[in-house]
Amino acid sequence: MIGLKGKLNVIDNSGALLVECVNVLKQKVNNGWGSIGDEIVCVVKRARPIGAAAAASATAVKVRRGDVRRAVIVRTKKVVRRPDGRFIRFDDNAAVLLNNKREMLGTRIGGVVSADLRMKGWGKIVSLAPKVL
Amino acid sequence: MHLRPGTVDFGCRFTDLCSSLKVEIDSFSGYRIYPSKGKLFVRGDSKVFRFASSKNASLFLQRKNPRKIAWTQVYRRMHKKGITEEVAKKRSRRTVKHQRGIVGADLAAIAAKRNQTAAVRSQQRLAAITKAKSEKKEKEGTKTKKPAASKAAHAAPKVSKQQMKGGKGGR
Repeated sequence: MIGLKGKLNVIDNSGALLVECVNVLKQKVNNGWGSIGDEIVCVVKRARPIGAAAAASATAVKVRRGDVRRAVIVRTKKVVRRPDGRFIRFDDNAAVLLNNKREMLGTRIGGVVSADLRMKGWGKIVSLAPKVL
Repeated sequence: MHLRPGTVDFGCRFTDLCSSLKVEIDSFSGYRIYPSKGKLFVRGDSKVFRFASSKNASLFLQRKNPRKIAWTQVYRRMHKKGITEEVAKKRSRRTVKHQRGIVGADLAAIAAKRNQTAAVRSQQRLAAITKAKSEKKEKEGTKTKKPAASKAAHAAPKVSKQQMKGGKGGR
């Protein structure tokens, strides 16, 4: 249940560390609660420092503090129900940054992601993740 | 299969999420978790914990030690409750020594040799001794029969052998 002001850890290598949710992008509702697999608009609250050399290299787009980006929620503390009736809960809220075209900004993902992402159409993220639960 | 409205039934999409046929065990109490029951908790270090009920989940999050909670399997195993049936089933394992034949003598030969009685053995020894003595006598006989022909040849090796023997005896 990520809504306005909800903080999420960023688990890709885009450079951001912590983002704050500003808006939840859902089909009919422009606010409300975001869950795993929902796209959100967020502000980068904390980012990794960018060295001069890192800025020159083009491995991944690096974001700065104060950037407004999109992201997809990959882990929530709030339980998510699976089709077989199980409930899954993670220890934190986490997201992966995206650009406006629903493509990932980073190139790698560090950490577990939820398998519900695949159902919502984020197969690329699931395939990059080291562990899917 | 239960479908959410608005989703297409891609059979493959559900398979990796619906592993419901396996009965899991609870990470705290050791109870069995049947499909569609309980909760799954993924900790920050990616370790997975399964809980059969909110009771188990709550105690785990309170960081209670299951070894001290009397109704958990961990506790019961530690305090050896209700395990008498298992103990009776235990079999003692002893290694059985097998007799094996060697290249020179197969199993039957070894057994035959071992099972000889003392009398038989002593008889064999006497027979061997007599045989040796007779052979020796024969050898000496043949030697004396041909003294002239190969006396020198015999003498030389004999002497050398005796010398060698004497040398060895001296040292």
